Amino acid sequence: MRILKWLVISQVFLIQIGCADKTAEESVPLPDTSYIVDSIAMPPGLSGEVGALAFLPSGKLIAAFRRGEVMKYDHENDEWSIFARGLHLPLGLLVRSESEVLVMQYPELTRLKDTDLDGEADVYETVTDDFGLGGNYHEFTYGPVEDKSGNLYIGLNSTSNGGVMMEELRGEINDDGLTEKGLYSAVPYRGWIMMLTPEGELLPFASGFRSPNGLGFDDQGRLWVTDNQGDWVGTSPLYHVEKGKFYGHPPSLAWTENWEGGRPMDKGVEFLDSLRTKAAVLFPHNVMANSPTEPVTVLTDEFGPFNGQLLIGEMNHQRIVRVMVEEVGGKLQGASVPFIDGGGLRKGNNRMVFGPDGALWVGQNASGWAGSSGIQRITFTGKMPVDIQNINITEDGFKLAFTTDMDKSALENPENYSVRSYFYAYHSKYGSDQMDLKDIEIKGVEVSEDGKEVRFGLSPMEKNRVYEIQLNNFQSVAGDSLSNNLICYTINELLE
Amino acid sequence: MKKCVGRRAWPSGIVIFLIPLLFLSTLLPSPGVAQIREIHIKAVGGLQFDKVRFKAEPGERIRIILSNADDMFHNMLITKPGKRESVVEAALNLAELGPQLEFIPKTDDVLWSTRVLAPGEEATLEIKVPSSEGIYPYVCTYPGHGTIMFGAMYVTRGDLPDIKEDVNIPEQRRSASLGAGPNAEDHAHHKEEEVWHPYELVPPYWYRIFMPESGPASIAVNLDDSVFYCWDAGLCRLRYVWEDDFLDISEPWSIKGDARAKVLGEIVYRENQFPLDLGFENQDVAYRGYRLVEGGYPEFYYTINGIDIYELIRPLPGQDGIRRRFRIGSGADKVKLNTQSPDKVNLKSSLGTWTGKELEIKQSSPLEFEVEMSW
Repeated sequence: MRILKWLVISQVFLIQIGCADKTAEESVPLPDTSYIVDSIAMPPGLSGEVGALAFLPSGKLIAAFRRGEVMKYDHENDEWSIFARGLHLPLGLLVRSESEVLVMQYPELTRLKDTDLDGEADVYETVTDDFGLGGNYHEFTYGPVEDKSGNLYIGLNSTSNGGVMMEELRGEINDDGLTEKGLYSAVPYRGWIMMLTPEGELLPFASGFRSPNGLGFDDQGRLWVTDNQGDWVGTSPLYHVEKGKFYGHPPSLAWTENWEGGRPMDKGVEFLDSLRTKAAVLFPHNVMANSPTEPVTVLTDEFGPFNGQLLIGEMNHQRIVRVMVEEVGGKLQGASVPFIDGGGLRKGNNRMVFGPDGALWVGQNASGWAGSSGIQRITFTGKMPVDIQNINITEDGFKLAFTTDMDKSALENPENYSVRSYFYAYHSKYGSDQMDLKDIEIKGVEVSEDGKEVRFGLSPMEKNRVYEIQLNNFQSVAGDSLSNNLICYTINELLE
Repeated sequence: MKKCVGRRAWPSGIVIFLIPLLFLSTLLPSPGVAQIREIHIKAVGGLQFDKVRFKAEPGERIRIILSNADDMFHNMLITKPGKRESVVEAALNLAELGPQLEFIPKTDDVLWSTRVLAPGEEATLEIKVPSSEGIYPYVCTYPGHGTIMFGAMYVTRGDLPDIKEDVNIPEQRRSASLGAGPNAEDHAHHKEEEVWHPYELVPPYWYRIFMPESGPASIAVNLDDSVFYCWDAGLCRLRYVWEDDFLDISEPWSIKGDARAKVLGEIVYRENQFPLDLGFENQDVAYRGYRLVEGGYPEFYYTINGIDIYELIRPLPGQDGIRRRFRIGSGADKVKLNTQSPDKVNLKSSLGTWTGKELEIKQSSPLEFEVEMSW
């Protein structure tokens, strides 16, 4: 059924997998693509800029939009209905039941309840507003996501020098969190991930975030948070976030318990660098992603051969990124590859959620930055993609596993691998160049008997760098090209 | 409505004083500097140049000063007429070579270009304007920006086309200047055409949005299309009431930046203090939300030292004003209400006695009372 399902979808954009010939009008068509992107028609009058996406127990989609609407969408009958309105920049939804959702809006986390069951919320109950507001446009609030113990996590964007703070604001002002340039944290807990206990207490959880527009738990209960390139963030990162840790953007440190006083920025790069936990995965700017968003975990085999991996939206390109992580020397690190790249996907991929149909639903946004609007759906056709299934670091290089049997002759040729490495500077400046760029020598290639795995040695292998690997001329035994030939692996630790 | 106060308000003495200066400067030998006309362009939020078009004389020397007032990277390329889109495409195709080339594709179609500017940086282009008349686009080719961040240098001795019909500037800039949004008159004029939501707006309805004269957690309520109020969810109190028309939210909804909604009318009543006094030395007020009650009005819920308070504001039938219902949960021995309202406001209450502007209800809660305020 799944294989045939794609045929009936209108407005389909085909993703070309290499140069496979499409044979038109065969009586029993097999899909020639692995993933298809189709667009959901939006109701007239809706801005379509998606701040949040989720599914209700009934299977209806529920989505929040920039002008404060929360809408329900019954895909089967192509019907939109209104659930809530008048919210202030909603950027997250967590479904509690068919008639109750939590929504993260600019000033608070709110419980929306439809108590008379007429389909529209009639109670807007404040769950927590126990954090500071400067009245600055950049103080976005993200989440909530829930851990297995019922704690909720929300992200508080830092305040921007691109705007000002209002004269009237919420929370005490802490001058230590101010900066003259870039983003800052002068009201409580801007730049923090906060934890809301089941008892309703909002506690500071982790600091050092600039613009964390993406929180998500994986299937192992790990909290992942993306951040955006800018001051102190050389290139956009993906952090594995744990309690009490600091992730690098300094002003938020001013709200650390027992902070010794003074501006964190003034403590020196070396000191700040020693405090910070580095990203598990770096997304090289203009190479992999410029503005990564929500991480979602693939929890099934129904969506292709990537069960357990993370998919992350990208605002500035028509792209969704796939992330593979592993633990090396007690630390998490890993690689990103383009997953969907073009093929009808729009820019502005802000929110993603798997639907009951097994498809990945994607909501787009711009909010004045590069992006777009609307909702699209990515469906797996059942055709095995020709792709990197996984990548692992080895003692002298990397090991790649493919989703399908590959043409061994291409894999064996060292000239088909081009690798460079670089690092990103940790500094107050906005973004970083690729520093100390090196071409890396390929030293020996070893292909498995079935052509599904290859190990290649590299020289030098150094830690605290990104290895950008380009694979050329790779194709499957069936003659399909590798769908994505770019891998960016962040080495935090070498395998001893 | 832009005011031209600056120009008109110049005392003539200053003008007279300036003329000899200008005259003098043309006489002094200051080669190449004084004669060059300067054009200041800013890269601003919302992926825009603040100036979307300007006029230059064929052959004229000009100095373009680009400053990046945004919080992202931007460059600026001036292309041959009609070449904006192909240059943007070529810049995108630079792929991983883009950053080192400052996203400037190697093509003759690019006439002048700046490097990529970080936030706060500035670059200058001194150019001799082409002698052939034409519309020379300028564009930011930083990835993702080129399709919306551009403008046009009109090399002409004639007039510029009507901005409303100028296809050489971004569409959203044809109707309004950046950041200004439609003004009140324009808004009223276009009100019928604008569809802001996928449903009909029937009052009462409201927005949580940045409001003038209020805190960052504000709620603006349209009661009946003629009376409106702003409630501050930070301080848990009414801030002001206005009449005429509701709000212009186009700016906060269309750009990035600190924009607040614009009140489209006259504020007829301001409340400058928290009105309820339950007799505690210190009142700890906490916002808890609202629910929709009969008629679809929001009833705000907050607590004072743990005591539940529900406040409902509705129109006052047949009069200019509002009626407010307070429901106070158990725990208070007496209730006072003082709005410090100006003398023009008539006060009436369903319960308690007035001493001047202060209402006192000498009974312990739970209790419910309504206050009418008319003007």
